[in-house]
Amino acid sequence: MLHVENLTASIGGTPILKGLDLTVGAGEVHAIMGPNGSGKSTLAHSLAGRDGYEIGGTATLDGADLLDMEPEARAAAGLFIGFQYPVEIPGVNNMYFLRTALNSVRRVRGETEIGARDFLAVAQEAMDLVEMKQDFLNRSVNSGFSGGEKKRNEILQMAVLKPRLAVLDETDSGLDIDALQIIAAGVNALRDPERSVIMITHYQRLLDYIKPDFVHVLVDGRIVTSGDHTLALHLDDHGYADYLNHELDDAPGRPLSGAAL
Amino acid sequence: MTAATTVEKSKPSPATQGEQIDVIDRPTKRDEAWRYAPHGELGRLSFGPPSASARSVPADVESQIPALDGPRIVIVNGVVDEIRSTLTNLPDGLRLSTVADVLNDQPEQLAGHFHRGAGDVADAFEALNMTFGRDGAVVRVAKGHELATPIHIVDVTIPDETQNSSCSGVVIHLGEGSSATVVETKIGGGEAFGGSNTRTTITLDDNATLDHIVLQDVPSTQVHLGSTEVTQGAGSALRAHSFNLGATYGRVAYDVHLAGEGAHTDLSGLYFGTGDQTLDQQITVIHAAKNCTSRQTFRGILDDESTGVFNGGIDVRPGADGTDAVQSNDNLLLSNRAEADTQPRLEILADDVACKHGATVGQLDEDALYYLRTRGIPADEARRLLIRGFADQAVQAVAVEALRAWIIDRLGHADG
Repeated sequence: MLHVENLTASIGGTPILKGLDLTVGAGEVHAIMGPNGSGKSTLAHSLAGRDGYEIGGTATLDGADLLDMEPEARAAAGLFIGFQYPVEIPGVNNMYFLRTALNSVRRVRGETEIGARDFLAVAQEAMDLVEMKQDFLNRSVNSGFSGGEKKRNEILQMAVLKPRLAVLDETDSGLDIDALQIIAAGVNALRDPERSVIMITHYQRLLDYIKPDFVHVLVDGRIVTSGDHTLALHLDDHGYADYLNHELDDAPGRPLSGAAL
Repeated sequence: MTAATTVEKSKPSPATQGEQIDVIDRPTKRDEAWRYAPHGELGRLSFGPPSASARSVPADVESQIPALDGPRIVIVNGVVDEIRSTLTNLPDGLRLSTVADVLNDQPEQLAGHFHRGAGDVADAFEALNMTFGRDGAVVRVAKGHELATPIHIVDVTIPDETQNSSCSGVVIHLGEGSSATVVETKIGGGEAFGGSNTRTTITLDDNATLDHIVLQDVPSTQVHLGSTEVTQGAGSALRAHSFNLGATYGRVAYDVHLAGEGAHTDLSGLYFGTGDQTLDQQITVIHAAKNCTSRQTFRGILDDESTGVFNGGIDVRPGADGTDAVQSNDNLLLSNRAEADTQPRLEILADDVACKHGATVGQLDEDALYYLRTRGIPADEARRLLIRGFADQAVQAVAVEALRAWIIDRLGHADG
């Protein structure tokens, strides 16, 4: 499924990812945890193809070289990114957007396009999954949505696009417990032996609802340790202090302030 | 405007007035309202009395006309084409006539359109239109009648050798408490340089409601000068939607006079420039009575080397207390050679006035573009979606479904 080797990303000469390795097998759920500024979101957007990064290393999805592709080609190859801050797009109808997206990836994959009427059934199924009402589809994309609605709209898009790999960037941030449970139920329903999920999160809370197969700790642009879900519990009790110190030991010439992180 | 004030506005007769008009100076760059106009091209527009009969409309021009059911008047090079017009089987309460017929039978009914006091003529093009624009449409709706079907007025210009420009007029009068929708489509044909000079005079009696939609889509070889003058009575409402899309220089001007207490005017517009087009909106709302409200909401999309102009005035006269006026102009630049010029003009001479204005000039939202692309939508289609989204507010404000479809289709050609 996903193979990332020695991935580096910098912005304007400032390195953010400093040689990241990650392998995700089919059907696996991985959690990537780390303090603010460790490079979690940069990892998601490096994979998705956002402009403005200088990228090194390799990342392949089902053998295809992701880093060489435009963002839309990565989506067609089966990658989906759940945004931490979904973008509001006034004037663009949510339903039209969803159908355009689905048909765009279907076109690239040589599949037939889905007409407006047939798409309603696809959308309905996805809406049921995240408990959204019908009027949700008639609104502009994320425009005026509450924080919870935006995150549910991300999972709705995931349900419509049915990606091979979903990278969910802080999908739990800013959610109350009810919304979190709806999101988690949606993601769990989409778990499949052929679909993998990477959850990027700051807190262990989300992992109570979506149990990961693997947990990785990302500090200063590298994965410093990996384990099973019990690692997340340890982090919840002890924070990231152990790994920040470890980082200090590794790079004595580069002082790191725990407070700044 | 300095030059035009010298025009003598007695009742003009085309034969004598024509020569006199030709020596009136046309506007220059120094006239604020004409600052962005291509003065070289304006100078090449030639005007004169229209030919006696309308020329035929080629099929490719005919096919540009939005298909609307109901009454319509087609004007070709300044002359009504009665064969293409529907002047019979009109709904109750509607009188639809040609300007030429009314000038003949009841000229006093057009006094407000053709007669001005000396000094009241805005510029040389208005004077030219008064002289040569002696055909067109007269829409009269009787008191209390609510017309469901839109009335369509189509102005076609196909420049020919004798003179390259046409003049025509539209007069709309809504009686007390009546309501109607009038659509004015301005199109043209041929490859030759030329222009159209159209002038609309609207009178809304107390509590009348008018939806006025202007579609300007003449060929890019032509200049279009369109102006609309509105006088509103107490409690009346105007909802105007202009789509300024065609022409090398396309001008949409509204001068709205809120004369009766509690009148409301809502002017919205969209202009979408490509190539080297200049699309100019000259808007003035005069609050002359108490407790009137006005809205000006204009959006521009400017690609290539096009220029968009919004010159929007709110003029609150002494005694017009309780005025509520809002103006906004938002521009989307799709190219680094495109230009948006926006100028608010506010003059407030009354008390208890709420007046707001705002303008923005921006580019396509890169974050939104990226977001759409991560969903698999190719870059050029994502751009189209965002452009459509920006235009959507103006498009959705149009109640007539067939017009919305025409506009969306037309915008699709512009951003392809």
